[in-house]
Amino acid sequence: MRIATSTIYAQQTQAIDEQSALYAQLGAQLSSGKKLTQPSDDPAQIAQDLQLHTTISTETQQSTNVQGAVSQLTSTDSALSSLTSVIQSARQLAVQGASDTLSASQRSALADQVDQLLQQAIAIGNTQYDGQYVFGGSATNATAPVQAQGSPVSAVTFTGNEQSQGQLVYNGQDFPLSTTLQAAFNYDASDGSPDVFQTLIALRDTLQNGTVADESSSAMNQAGAVIYGAPSGAGAPASTTLSASGVFATKPVPDSSGNFTITINGSVNGVQSVQTITVPATAAIDDGVPPPAGTSLVAKINAVSAQTGVTATFDAKTQRVTLAGTGSFSVTDTPSPGATDSGNLTSVLNLTNQADTVQTVSTQIGDIDTVLNATLSARSTIGARIQTLGGISDQLQTDVTDNTNVESSIEDTDVASATTQFTATQTALEAAYATTNRLEGKTLLDYLTNA
Amino acid sequence: MSFLGLSILGSALDAYQQAADVTSNDIANVNTPGASRQSVNFQEATPIVGSPGYDTLSGVGTQGTGVVVQSITRIHQDSYDGLFRGASSAQNYFTVEQQQLQSVQSAFGEPNNGVSAAFTALQTAISQLASNPTEVSDQQGVITAAQSFAGTLNSVGSAVQSAQASVVQQAGSTVNQINGLLDQIASLNGQIRAATAVGENPNTYEDERDNDIDTLSQYVNVQTSVQANGSALVSVNGRALVNDTQAYHLAAPVVTTNASGTPTLVVGFANDPNPASPATIDAGSGELGGYLDLYNTKLASYGQQLNSFAASAADAIDRVSTAGYDQNGNPGAALFVPAAPGTPITATNISVGITSPTELPTALASTAAGDLTVALNAANDTVSTTAAVLGNATLAHPAAASGGSTAGTLTVTVDGAAQSFAYDFGAGGNADTIDDFIDNFNAAQLGVTASYDATAQQIVFARDPTNVSAAHLAAQGANPTTPSFTISDSNAPAGGSQGTPSSSLLEVLGAAGIDGVPQDATNAVGASDNAGTNALLSVFSSQVGIPAVQTAASNATAVGPGTVTVGAATAGAFANVTVGQTLTIDAGTANAENVTVTAVNQSAGTITFDATKAHAAGFSVSAVPSQTLSAYYGTLVAQLGNDTSTATTGASSQSSLASSINSARQSVDGINVDEETQNLIQYQSSYQAAAQTMNVLDQLLQATLAMIPS
Repeated sequence: MRIATSTIYAQQTQAIDEQSALYAQLGAQLSSGKKLTQPSDDPAQIAQDLQLHTTISTETQQSTNVQGAVSQLTSTDSALSSLTSVIQSARQLAVQGASDTLSASQRSALADQVDQLLQQAIAIGNTQYDGQYVFGGSATNATAPVQAQGSPVSAVTFTGNEQSQGQLVYNGQDFPLSTTLQAAFNYDASDGSPDVFQTLIALRDTLQNGTVADESSSAMNQAGAVIYGAPSGAGAPASTTLSASGVFATKPVPDSSGNFTITINGSVNGVQSVQTITVPATAAIDDGVPPPAGTSLVAKINAVSAQTGVTATFDAKTQRVTLAGTGSFSVTDTPSPGATDSGNLTSVLNLTNQADTVQTVSTQIGDIDTVLNATLSARSTIGARIQTLGGISDQLQTDVTDNTNVESSIEDTDVASATTQFTATQTALEAAYATTNRLEGKTLLDYLTNA
Repeated sequence: MSFLGLSILGSALDAYQQAADVTSNDIANVNTPGASRQSVNFQEATPIVGSPGYDTLSGVGTQGTGVVVQSITRIHQDSYDGLFRGASSAQNYFTVEQQQLQSVQSAFGEPNNGVSAAFTALQTAISQLASNPTEVSDQQGVITAAQSFAGTLNSVGSAVQSAQASVVQQAGSTVNQINGLLDQIASLNGQIRAATAVGENPNTYEDERDNDIDTLSQYVNVQTSVQANGSALVSVNGRALVNDTQAYHLAAPVVTTNASGTPTLVVGFANDPNPASPATIDAGSGELGGYLDLYNTKLASYGQQLNSFAASAADAIDRVSTAGYDQNGNPGAALFVPAAPGTPITATNISVGITSPTELPTALASTAAGDLTVALNAANDTVSTTAAVLGNATLAHPAAASGGSTAGTLTVTVDGAAQSFAYDFGAGGNADTIDDFIDNFNAAQLGVTASYDATAQQIVFARDPTNVSAAHLAAQGANPTTPSFTISDSNAPAGGSQGTPSSSLLEVLGAAGIDGVPQDATNAVGASDNAGTNALLSVFSSQVGIPAVQTAASNATAVGPGTVTVGAATAGAFANVTVGQTLTIDAGTANAENVTVTAVNQSAGTITFDATKAHAAGFSVSAVPSQTLSAYYGTLVAQLGNDTSTATTGASSQSSLASSINSARQSVDGINVDEETQNLIQYQSSYQAAAQTMNVLDQLLQATLAMIPS
């Protein structure tokens, strides 16, 4: 076959160009360690490669988030652990207090300890993690959300809310990063049971004050009869008096002096006071005239409420006289001066039998168990969440490793094969150079003798 | 003795002298592009013919009179030219594509520094913020990542646009070169025709013309046929570029708008009566073909997909960010806004609208905050959400007794659109248990999601901007996305309770006596909430309809079944719709169906598809959520990679093909120095032989002359 002279050179040039390009490409792959540096290097894999980049950085961030969540939940868990100890200690003190052999001063000492536990519980309610109150809900609280009222503490206010402080979302599952005061402290429970603070305050007061009076328990009227309070206008029925007959479910029987006399033992701001009230049988239950002028039963009780903390109201709808105190109080029938027997006003008013300290404390142990269960349940929820997140964290790290391996297999140079190819290309390129060198200037003209 | 011998030898000396000249010309042109080798055809000179009756010197017969050069032939095989030019056109087509696409590809910066990395960084920053909602540095991180994402989109979008501008410019300069070549070819046609007419061999002109056509085929894929008069007819896809001595110049390329409203780069003839939108020529391959394909197919598609991606990403993210409340309790602002207010977002027209960390969305409206809902339970009871609502004694507001009405409608108003949810809490109804109600309510995708809080025993309605149906998007239309929502119950008496039993589902669910559950900033929970951030994060993993169509399309009358053309309510609403795309018509209704777009007319703002069902006036058109944003972008990058790789491979293989065809062509017409040297030696030897013979003849003549006595 004829070969044109220029073809020989063109072919050599093309061969060297091709080999040089391959040589440079392999060299770049080996020195950078990457075989996929631009989309056209491997269009079939580039979409997957981009997806892997995204997946790896997402999973790495998720792993960090999960670890942060575990740390946050762990701090909540340790707060709940402390709270559990507080409640358990309170329960032990209650069990001790529910003993007839203790003197008032011994019970008072127990009450002081319960008060300490109450302070601790409040402090736990204000636990912080990374500047956030863990039981404060999602509101940004500048001040501690759990605030004690009164001294000694008679109530606790909560300025936070019951919202979770954000959720960690992983594969469609939601993991709340906090628990709520409601769940952990049984605060504002939907079934109306007392929270940790109320339970501790009640226990302390019971131990401190001895007895607790409940308010009147049911309607005073006889079936079919109506007890009237303050007249609502002209022509309205007059106020029912204690001497009315056929009206009360329990017939009122005055003492031998013809009076009804009761003793109210209550306290205001921790100052205890015992007040005796005498009302004649002709007195109305509630004629609407307030103290000091009022002579009705309700007015007389309210006349001393500055000392006892006990206020009385008559509710015509429920046919009840309601007694409410700022602290614990008790009401007993007492003979009026000079009388030998007692009236039965407490029975007429349907005041429940007064429980003694031992009975009350025993009841309160039940409340303590309720809040303890709530706290333990909140703690186990947190614990389960920590465990699940731990598993997810491990899974994420495994995923990151796996995906990094896949990414490496797509992106990274296979050094062994690239080196072999590099060497082969180098050899071919050297051969091409050598051949070109030999070919240069070799024509028949070289062999013509000019001599 | 005669002088005939001297004359014979003289013809030989002349012939070999001329043959050596031709060989010299060949050797001189060994590197000249387009030069074909030429060979000398010798012929015996006309003999002296003896006539009967007259003796000649040699007796009867013919006496040769030497040698003459009959012709100088150009050795060339035209059949290779067409093959070579085709390969050369293809090679240059791929080469210009490769060069442009390589530069676009490096502007994309994938896989490590491009939009994908910036988008992932934004996702990571949001994820980080979700973990620490109150951390100011993490809030700033989201803004920075968003700015970087917008900046990367801007630069990649600009790179595509400037590549298009550069293609237009280069195509213009290619057209200038083509026009120059056309003039030369026309002029050579004239010279060749003149030479042929007088019987001369226009070898050199033909070489020159073939070389010009070779060069022309690099720019545009031409066909050539040589006419009887020797002129070449050069045409491109049936349109003559050179006919005899007439060159038809091409006009500079112009960008016109094609039937579907897409800007298109076209080339026509310089004498076209309508230069702004000329009758176009199909360049086929060659550099010009490469530029046209780059502009109209490759770069236009990248630009469009990049714009779709930018618009869809901004749309999906903004939908969430404007549906939330920021740290200050204000309705959320759009995270991404167009750089030029009031224009659609594109890759080059996107910027970050939130500059202050406190403006990032944190909370979503929810009935769990505030006191709008109360516990469902009757005192001291625990509600069973799996038990039938009818006759459920654990509910504070028991449902109407058996036999009463159990059906009604909840109206959820959000994003300026009211949607209905028909409920029935009777046996077998869609709300016969609380769990069933929650499942069915959420599946209706109303933009508000229900859930049950077992601790508080409350039903909670929360804004969920990612749980929206296509029908809702269509109904929302141009209304802005709102954070607040209201729910009202057709069975609830205004402002009061029905008491018990109630036939109002909302009342049964505990929203006692509330006929609407309005949500505003005061109901949004605090800054440490991350519901808004988590919703933002879910955008990255959820499937979105790309290209997004979120505008209600309407026809004045009911349409279908059959071919349907609809106009959008607003111009440009279908800017992202492409032929072949699947759209959902009448989403959420009984007549919902998926259709395939058969035509799009952007300038008229209409799309056409074949419907199999009847649709009432005002039906909705929406995109089918098909893939995640990052998968969509991945497809674009894969397409770019594929195009670049195809161009690179094509350039390389067409270059090999062209060069092997050229080798074959050169093996016929190429000049080989060795061969020419052999010829030269042969001619030299022959010349020497003739000269030596002449010397002998001279001696013979001398001897003859010596016989003459002096």
